[in-house]
Amino acid sequence: MSKYDPIVYKDGKRYFYRFSAHQRIQHVVLFSSVLILALTGFPLRHADQAWAKPLYNFMGGTEYAPMVHRAAGTVLLALFVYHTIYWMVKFYQNHIVKLQQQNQLTVGNFIREFFSQEMIPNKKDLVDIIHLWKYLFYFTNRPPRHEKMSWREKFDYFAPYWGIPILGPAGVALWWRDELSHVMPGFVLNAAYIMHTDEALLAVLFLFFVHWYNVHYAPEKFPAAKVWLTGYLTENEMIHEHYADYVKVMIAAGLEDEIKPQHFAGERYEW
Amino acid sequence: MQIAIYNKTVTFLLISLFALTALMAETAIANELNCLMCHKHRGLSRIDENGEFRLFYINSELFNSGPHRRNRCQDCHSDIDRIPHKPAKKVSCTQQCHIAEPSGNKKFSHKNVAETLASSVHNKYDKDGKLKPHSDDYPVCKDCHDQPLYRPVSVFKGVAKHGVSERSISRCKSCHTSGNFAEDFYEHVTTRLHKTRFSKEIISVCAKCHADPALRKRHKLDDVVTSYKETFHGKMVELGSEKTPDCIDCHVVEGENNHLIEAKTVPSSSVHKNNVANTCRASDCHKNASDQLASFQTHVTYDREKYPMQFYMLIGFKALMAIVLYFFLTLIFFELLRRLFPRFAFFKDNKPHHKNTNTRSQSSTDNGG
Repeated sequence: MSKYDPIVYKDGKRYFYRFSAHQRIQHVVLFSSVLILALTGFPLRHADQAWAKPLYNFMGGTEYAPMVHRAAGTVLLALFVYHTIYWMVKFYQNHIVKLQQQNQLTVGNFIREFFSQEMIPNKKDLVDIIHLWKYLFYFTNRPPRHEKMSWREKFDYFAPYWGIPILGPAGVALWWRDELSHVMPGFVLNAAYIMHTDEALLAVLFLFFVHWYNVHYAPEKFPAAKVWLTGYLTENEMIHEHYADYVKVMIAAGLEDEIKPQHFAGERYEW
Repeated sequence: MQIAIYNKTVTFLLISLFALTALMAETAIANELNCLMCHKHRGLSRIDENGEFRLFYINSELFNSGPHRRNRCQDCHSDIDRIPHKPAKKVSCTQQCHIAEPSGNKKFSHKNVAETLASSVHNKYDKDGKLKPHSDDYPVCKDCHDQPLYRPVSVFKGVAKHGVSERSISRCKSCHTSGNFAEDFYEHVTTRLHKTRFSKEIISVCAKCHADPALRKRHKLDDVVTSYKETFHGKMVELGSEKTPDCIDCHVVEGENNHLIEAKTVPSSSVHKNNVANTCRASDCHKNASDQLASFQTHVTYDREKYPMQFYMLIGFKALMAIVLYFFLTLIFFELLRRLFPRFAFFKDNKPHHKNTNTRSQSSTDNGG
C-alpha cells in the first residue's frame, strides 16, 4: 500500500522510511496551529507579566489576536477530526479488510487488531519502560530495543489526543458563550475556563520540555531532528531509537549480515 | 460668645463675598485674592496637630487645567476671609459654589451626587442613620476623585491622552471664539464620556480600598480585585482592551448614575441575582445570552467552601501536571546522567545484537495506521 520504500540509499547511506508526506503535512498543520494558539493564548493567561502586552500586540492586540486564536483553534479542531477519520480509514484498510477477506471478523479479532496498531500502547511498552529504568540506574548495559513506535512517541502522540478533547470543547464554549447559554448554565464556563487555561499550560510545558527534548535538545538531536521534514530516519537514529524495528526491517530487506550492533548512551555518532 | 461673633462676621463676609462674586462671576479667576502669593511656594507645608505632613503648595499649571479652575479659592475654602489665615476647615463638596449651572441658572453644587452616594453601598450610615462600623473606611468624594482617571482626556484620531488637545477643539473654536468657552465646554463633556477613561484606571481607583487586606478583613470582603484580574475581562483590560468591562460597567445599572453602586442584596442592584442576566446583556456585551449565563461566577477565589468545583478542578489539574512533568523531567535528568558512563553496568547483558532476540517472532505488527 505504501509508495515509500522501507530503505532508501542516498550518498551511500541508508535511510529508513517513517512518515509519509500526508502525515508530515498533518504534523506541520498541527504544530503551526498549536504555536499560534500558544502565542495568542499565553499573553492573555499571563496578562500581568511584562512580556505579555508586547507579545499580544505583536500577535494582533486585543482586537485581532482573539480572532487569530479562534482561527487557529478551528484549524486544530478540524485537523483533529480529519486525523481521526484518517486513522479510522487506515485501520479499516489495513486491518478490517484483511479480517473480512479471511472471514474472521469477530469482536475478539476486532479488539485484537485494534490493539495491534502501531500507535496503541501494549505490553512491550511497559516492559520497555521498566527496562529503561533498569538501564538508567546501571542495572544493565543495554538500552531498550524499541519497535517502530517507542512508548515515548506513543505518549507524544496521545498527548494531543487527550489535550484537544479537553481544550477544544472548552474553547468552543468560551467562544460561543452567549449562544450556548441557552442550552447550558453559566457556571459551565467557569469549568471551561479552568480546563482551557490549565490544560493549555500542561500541553505547552510538555511540548516545550519533553517533546522538544526528544526532538531538539537531546545531545544527539540538537539542533533538530530532520524526520519531520524528510520522512526518513538515518541508520544511526534507527539503531538508537528503534533497534527492534531496525533488525526487523533489515532482515525483511535481506540485509541480515549488515545489521550493526546496538548503541550505548553517550557514544558519539555521525547522525 | 466670641465664637458666635466670629461666626457672624464670617457669615456677613461670606454674604458680601457672594454678592461680589455674583457680580464678577464672568471675569472671576482663581487667584483673585492673591492666594498664590504664598501658595505658589513649593515648600509651603507644615506638620499638623495629628503629626501628619501637609503640603499646601498649589501647582497653578495643574489647577488651571483641572475641572475647578473657574472657581476661585474662596468659593470652596469659604471659611477663609483674610490673609494670612488660620487653618482652614475641610472643604465640603456639597456646598454651593458660584458657578451658575447653565441649564437652570442655579448655583452649582455636588449635593445631588452626594445624595446618590448616600443611597449606595458606600454610604457610611446604615438604614437607621447610625454610623456603620469602621465608618472611616467608606469613601468620600476625594477618595476616588483625586485619581488620574478624573483628569481630562482628549481623543483625536483614535488616540486618547491626558489633557485637552488643540487639534480636538479646533473645530469648536471656529465658532465659539469668546474666552475659554470651547476649552471649558469640551473638557466638561469629555471628562464625562465614560469610555475615554481607561478601564485600568477605574480598577485602580476601586483597588485603592478593595485591594487593601486590612480593610477587606474589617469589612469581611473577598479579594475582588485579584479575582477580577483572573477573569477574561480583567486580563483583556490588562492588555489594553477598551471593550471588556471594568468594575463600574457591571456594578452600576446601565444608564444609572455611576455613584449608585449597590450591594448585591439590594433588589435594584445590577448584581442582585434577579438582575445579573440583564447586566450581562447590557451595552451589547452578551446581548444574545440567556438568563442562564448569570450563573457564571465572576469573582472566584478558589476557596474550598465557596467555590468547591474550582477548588477541586485546580487541584486535579495541578496534580496531573505535576505527575506528567515530574515523570518526564526525572527521566530526562537520569538519561543525561546515564551518558556519563555509557558502558558501565552492574550486570552485563551480552546477548547478541539481533540473533536469539525474539524480534522476528513479534513480526505481526503492520505497516499502516
